Amino acid sequence: MVFLNESNGLIVKEKIFVIICILFLLSCGAPSDDSRDERTDVIRLTYWPAPNPQEMELADSLVKVWNRNNPHIQVRMQPIPVGQSTEEVLLASIAAGTTPDICSNIWPGALYDFTRAGGLIPFEKFSDFDSVLTSRVPSELLETFRSPDGSVYQIPWKTNPVMMIYNKRILRELGYEEPPRIYSEFIRMGRELAERRENDKRFDVWMGERDIRPIWWQRFFDFLPFYYAASGGKTLFENHTVAFVNEYAEAVIAFFSECYREKVFPRTFSHQQDPFLLERMATNFAGSWQIPTIRRYAPHIEFGVAPVPVPDDHEGPIYTYGDFKNISIFSTTRYPEASWEFVKFLIEADHDLLLLEIANQIPVRGDLLTNPLFTDFFNDNPDMVLFAEQAVYTRSVDEVADIKEILDALSQEYEAAVVYGRRSPAEAIQRAARRAELIIEWNK
Amino acid sequence: MKSVSALISRIRGSEKNGYLFMLPYIIFFCLFIAYPLIFSFVLIFHRWNIVTPMEWIALRNFFRMFQDPLFARAIINTLVFLVLHIPLQIVIALIFAVLLNSAIKFRGLFRSVYFFPVVVSGVVVTILWAQLYNYESGLFNHILTTIGLPAVPWLVDPGFAMPSIAIMATWKNVGLYIVLFLVGLQTIPAYLYEAARIDGASGKDQFLNITLPMLNPTIVVIFILSTIGGFSLFIEPYIMTGGGPMNSTLSAMLYIYNQAFSFNHMGYAAALGFVFALIILSVVMLQRKVLETGDYST
Repeated sequence: MVFLNESNGLIVKEKIFVIICILFLLSCGAPSDDSRDERTDVIRLTYWPAPNPQEMELADSLVKVWNRNNPHIQVRMQPIPVGQSTEEVLLASIAAGTTPDICSNIWPGALYDFTRAGGLIPFEKFSDFDSVLTSRVPSELLETFRSPDGSVYQIPWKTNPVMMIYNKRILRELGYEEPPRIYSEFIRMGRELAERRENDKRFDVWMGERDIRPIWWQRFFDFLPFYYAASGGKTLFENHTVAFVNEYAEAVIAFFSECYREKVFPRTFSHQQDPFLLERMATNFAGSWQIPTIRRYAPHIEFGVAPVPVPDDHEGPIYTYGDFKNISIFSTTRYPEASWEFVKFLIEADHDLLLLEIANQIPVRGDLLTNPLFTDFFNDNPDMVLFAEQAVYTRSVDEVADIKEILDALSQEYEAAVVYGRRSPAEAIQRAARRAELIIEWNK
Repeated sequence: MKSVSALISRIRGSEKNGYLFMLPYIIFFCLFIAYPLIFSFVLIFHRWNIVTPMEWIALRNFFRMFQDPLFARAIINTLVFLVLHIPLQIVIALIFAVLLNSAIKFRGLFRSVYFFPVVVSGVVVTILWAQLYNYESGLFNHILTTIGLPAVPWLVDPGFAMPSIAIMATWKNVGLYIVLFLVGLQTIPAYLYEAARIDGASGKDQFLNITLPMLNPTIVVIFILSTIGGFSLFIEPYIMTGGGPMNSTLSAMLYIYNQAFSFNHMGYAAALGFVFALIILSVVMLQRKVLETGDYST
């Protein structure tokens, strides 16, 4: 997905070219009326998983099992066509009327556009939807995926909770065995590293580093997880109205401002290798995808995982932002019931175990740590236990119009207040809220 | 009516194979120029995010634009870039062109070397310069701090970011303008300098009274090309700064791109593009009026 990749990615001309090509190819390949083989009475469904190798391998193995066991409903697995982002490809395919029957890479932030275009089927139309979903997903979490019209168009499938991954050696050298849990501890450790840098010019280790460019998706790794953590799981909107003008948002902005003011974070960005892998950064806010990367490229790093720091007076569970990827059925399908059967197959417990084993990603299940089916996996992968524990305390983005532009407005205020200290936290939050309200108003 | 029938009879009498040969370009023109232009014009009056059906909103895109502080900011940033970039580019290109026009050793080699950045991909150059400009670990600041000077926040200070991008863009493009100036210099008749020398004109006098006036048509061309190129500033801020710090490098093209392809506001982006095209047209016409001073070649 594009915003998990912190490099710049494709450039515009390529991007525009890709969009045009996708539209063109999709329109050339408009579905013909052959999804049911008349001679054999076989229903044929198309399933789009994410195009990364692990998920393609998972999808391939699941589809083989399904096709073997369901000769009358045959599924064709086809990775989402390559584009700048999944959302872009799906938007293009909705516009061209060439969506698949099922897709398992739906980002909740894009749902507003999909549902407004009438592109998705509400799951309530299936009689066993409630029992299937409530047995898998905690009801409180499931409610966060209900659309403003009261329907559920997405099944929470997997998530990557953003957590703090820390370098144990660096913290130990500072005299700490435990990672920072609250803002003051984080700042104190960062100051000590700054002092060491002052005294020893060859020492170039920072407490953390964030890309300071005002890019909307960068907020998934700083403001959003910290805001969800500080606010006890509140998201940015409530009933489609701005709900982030509060002391939690101000506390988060004040915390990150202090990080830059006290030289806990460098005021820079880099296109070079990940500084965490180079051991130039004591902490990193990332999802579970970072773990295989560390093991592969820097196996010598002794690392630990902890929730993101919270305000000093915080009480209660620590929530975070999670990059959810959900399953939806497109309204272009001719076989909604058959598609629903395949979706149920995808979210069976055995297949969630495969999701963990093959893709190293956390299924959205309430019983992940209690179901004996998963015990062996978590015994073998203790680092993943914390991500699994965090999964139920994870929130996504709100399903509102123009969420990207709202996050862009927030990013600009974040930059002005946090990186350059040109605005107070309260002023930055109020300005971002005003712009968010204007954006919502424009879409009415 | 008479002229229409004359045109029809002219077409009837013409060689039909000619139209067949023109067909590839006509198809290209219709598909990639005429259709997008007409479609963009239609979009100006609509709200459209690619997925949902187009919604007619009359002039609301323009009302939004005139209340949009970021678009005004993007236009100002682009003009700041032009003010920094064009004089820098012309002066440097002229200096190097004059040097490369004189009898120096390895002249051919230098002419090629200065042209290299022009042919290298803009993205590659931009990524390299972003490394060089890096505040903490960039080569420029390493050199500065080694010789005892303070590090410069090239891309991380709102006051420095746009000049830093202008320096980089100049380095990237100056080779092309050196070549144009060289062509201009080589068309100046030698007898003018010879006559000036006989009349006792110094090198400075010759430059100011012969070279510069004779290069006026080239300067006008370079000015206009630089202006159009400068207005399309995009890759550099997109890769280096994302439009920051504090929107100080948010160019008009980057803003239009963000509206269209990040936020899917196709109608609004088309309206922004339309107004921006009018601004470019006005500036270029103004430049031609001010800069074109007459023909010195006769």
